[in-house]
Amino acid sequence: MSLAAEAFVSQIAAAEPWPENAALFQPLKDDQVLLSDCASSLAVQAYLRMCNLPVQVCCRANAEHMSPSGKVPFIHVGNQVVSELGPIVQFTKAKVVGCVSGQGLSNGPLSCKRHLQHCAEGSAVFLQGHSLSDGLDDVQRAEMKAYMELVNNMLLTAELYIQWCDEATAAQITRPRYSSPYPWPLNHILAYQKQWEVRRKMSAIGWAGKSLEQVYEDVSQCCQALSQRLGTQQYFFNKQPTELDALVFGHLFTILTTQLTSDELSDKIKSYSNLLSFCRRIEHNYFQEHERPGLDPLSIRPSLM
Amino acid sequence: MGTVHARSLDPLPMHGPDLGLHPDDAELVEAEPETKQEVLENKDVIVQRVHIDGLGRTKEDLLGYEIADVFMAKNLIDVMKKSHEAREKLLRLGIFRKVEVVIDTAEGEDALPNGLDVTFEVTELRRLTGSYNTMVGNNEGSMVLGVKLPNIFGRAEKLTFQFSYGTKETSYGLSFFKPQLGHFDRNICVNLYKVTGQFPWSSLRETDRGIATEFNFPIWKTNHTLKWEGVWRELGCLARTASFAVREESGHSLKSSLSHAMVIDTRNSAILPRRGALFRINQELAGYTGGDASFLKEDFEIQLNRRLFWDSVLSASLWGGMILPVGDKPASIADRFYLGGPTSIRGFSMYSIGPQSEGDYLGGEAYWAGGLHLYTPLPFRPGRGGFGDLFRTHFFLNAGNLCNLNYGEGPRAHLQKLAEYIRWSYGAGIVLRLGNIARLELNYCIPMGVQIGDRICDGVQFGAGIRFL
Repeated sequence: MSLAAEAFVSQIAAAEPWPENAALFQPLKDDQVLLSDCASSLAVQAYLRMCNLPVQVCCRANAEHMSPSGKVPFIHVGNQVVSELGPIVQFTKAKVVGCVSGQGLSNGPLSCKRHLQHCAEGSAVFLQGHSLSDGLDDVQRAEMKAYMELVNNMLLTAELYIQWCDEATAAQITRPRYSSPYPWPLNHILAYQKQWEVRRKMSAIGWAGKSLEQVYEDVSQCCQALSQRLGTQQYFFNKQPTELDALVFGHLFTILTTQLTSDELSDKIKSYSNLLSFCRRIEHNYFQEHERPGLDPLSIRPSLM
Repeated sequence: MGTVHARSLDPLPMHGPDLGLHPDDAELVEAEPETKQEVLENKDVIVQRVHIDGLGRTKEDLLGYEIADVFMAKNLIDVMKKSHEAREKLLRLGIFRKVEVVIDTAEGEDALPNGLDVTFEVTELRRLTGSYNTMVGNNEGSMVLGVKLPNIFGRAEKLTFQFSYGTKETSYGLSFFKPQLGHFDRNICVNLYKVTGQFPWSSLRETDRGIATEFNFPIWKTNHTLKWEGVWRELGCLARTASFAVREESGHSLKSSLSHAMVIDTRNSAILPRRGALFRINQELAGYTGGDASFLKEDFEIQLNRRLFWDSVLSASLWGGMILPVGDKPASIADRFYLGGPTSIRGFSMYSIGPQSEGDYLGGEAYWAGGLHLYTPLPFRPGRGGFGDLFRTHFFLNAGNLCNLNYGEGPRAHLQKLAEYIRWSYGAGIVLRLGNIARLELNYCIPMGVQIGDRICDGVQFGAGIRFL
C-alpha cells in the first residue's frame, strides 16, 4: 500500500474504539526475554496503564518475528498491529474519543481530549483515547522528545552493548536465554546470528570501540541528566505522567530488577535517590492497581472541559 | 514445484540419470533376418570377448555388471538383442555421451569358428558440464543454471549444483548421487539446499535451508524411497496486511523427519498417459529425530487410465492425505495441505479452498480430491500425424474437500467431516503436451459447491505443470 493509503486506513481504524481484547506481545517472560526487550515492553505497558487503556500481555516465543518491524513489544488492537513505543504513542493519540448517550453514538474530532459524559438514562459507556502530553506547550514537548531520544540512544544502546558485546554476559546469560525456545542446532545458529547483527549495529554507531567502563560511565551521565531534570517533582513534566515517564520507568525498573553478571549497572542508578523514588511511585500508582477492589479498567476521570 | 499438496519446497529433481530416450517413443529394434543371414540365425555362436573402448576415468568393475549378459547370448539375434540392452544400460548410467556397438567375428589365436567379439565404443562425458534450462513447475516457471560433474570418482557418482530463479521461488542446491554397483536402481542421494518461496494465497514467505538424504531401491515391481530430511524453516509475512493467524506462524522452526514413499507406476507416460496405473503412498514422521515440528503425515495418489473407442482415454484419479500432530502443538502452516487451482480442483483459484482468515488461506489437516477425465483428439483432427497430436481435448469432473479435523473424535466423524461441504467443478478444455516434461491446459470451468471464503476462477482458466488431478 502507498503511504497515503496506509495513513488513510490507519485513520479509519483509529476511528474504532479501543477493544477489550487488545493484546501486547513480548518474548517469554521467564526464560527468553532479554533486558532490552523487557525494558521496552515495560515502558509500553506503563504508558498504556497511564492512558487507562487495558491490554493483555501475551508471551510468545516468536514475538520478535511476529512484529512488523522486528522489534518487541507490539500491540494487536482490532486488526491493527503496531510495534515500538513511538508508533504506539502516535496510534493511541489518533483514537477517536466518543461516547454513547441516549441520542446514539457521537464522535469527537480526531484530535485528542479527555471526555466524560454521563448518560441521563443511567447507562453510560466511556471510550477514552489519550494523549498524555496534551498539557505541554511546544517547548516542553520538544524537551520531552529530546529526553526520550537521550534514553533511546544512551540507555537502550548501553543495554544492548552489555547484553551482546560483553563476552561474559553474552555467553552466560544472553545467548542461552535468546536461544532457549529452539532445538539444537538451531539455537546456536540463531543466537550467533543475532549477536553478529547487534555487533554490526554497534560498530555502525561507533560503540564497538568502547570498553565496558566507558559504557557504565555513559549510563551514569544519562542518569545524572534525568535526575537533574526530574529534580524533586513527581513526574518529569507537571504533575501528570507523560510518555517520557513511561519510557524512563521501563528502562530503570528493568535494570534495577534484573540480575546480570555484575551489579554495576543497577548501582549506578541506585546512586540517584530521586530516580529510585520515581520508579517506586510509578510502580505503586500504576502496577498495583489490580489489588484495589472494585476498580474498573475503564475508570472515571474528572473532565477537564 | 514437485509435490504440490503439501506445498513442500522440494528441490528440483536432481537425482536420477538423464534418460537418453523417451520411454513412449522407444521401440525395441527388431533385426529382420535377411535371406543371406538365414543360415546364421540358427547357428550357435559364442561371445568370446567383449571390449569397451574409450574409457578414461570410469572404473571397470562398474561396467562389468552392465555387460555381463552379453556373454549369455546363444545365437546371433540374441547377441544383437543383448548388446542393445547392454547399450541401454550403459547409457542409463549417465556417464557416457555416446555408445556404439560393433559385433565382429572373433580374431586372434584362440578364436573359435563361431566366436564373436563385441565392442562397445563409448565416449565419456566431460568432467565438468554446465547447463541452462527453463523449468515448469505447478503454475510457475523458472530459469535453472546448473553445473554438473558426472562420474567424478569413476563409478557413476554425480555431483550437481543448481541455481534456479523463478516466478515464485529462488533456490540453490548441491546434490550428490551414487548408485550401487550393478544395481543402478538402488542409489543414494544427498542434497543440500536453500529454497525461498512466496505464497500470495497465504500472504506467507518461506525460506528453507536443509539437508536431505534419500535411499531408493526397487522391490519387485515397486519403487521405494527412504528419506531423512532436516530443514531449518523460516516463515514470515509477505505483506503488512497479512492476517494475524499467519503472523502468529512467523519465526524459525526446525523439522527433522523420516519419510517413506512407495510408487508403482505402470503408465506409459507421466504426462498424458494412455494406459496403465499409478499408485503412490507417502508417509512422513517428524519430531522423533530432533527438531520442534512433530507430526505424522500420510499422503496417497491413485491414477487409472484406460483406452476407449476412437483413440480416447478415460482417466480417473484420487488424491488424499492427512496430518496428525503429535503432542499439543498444532501443525505448522508450512506442513498443512492445500487444495484448489488449475492443477487440482479446477475452477478455483490457486490453493484457495478451505480454512481461511481475512483472505489468507491457512491450509487444512486432511483432504481428498478426485477427478474423472475424458481425453479425446481434437475435433476434426487438424494437423494429424504432426503438431495436432500434441493437443487433446478434455472433459473433466473434479471434486474434493479440505478441512481441519477434531482429533478427539473417531474415524467415522472424520469421514463425515470430509464428506460435508464438497467442492466440485466440471468443464472442458484443451491440453497441450510439452515433450515429456510438462503439460499446459486451457479450460472452461464451472465451479460448484463453493463455500464462503473460497475464491473461484470460473470461466477460462490456464494451468501449467507436471502433476494434475
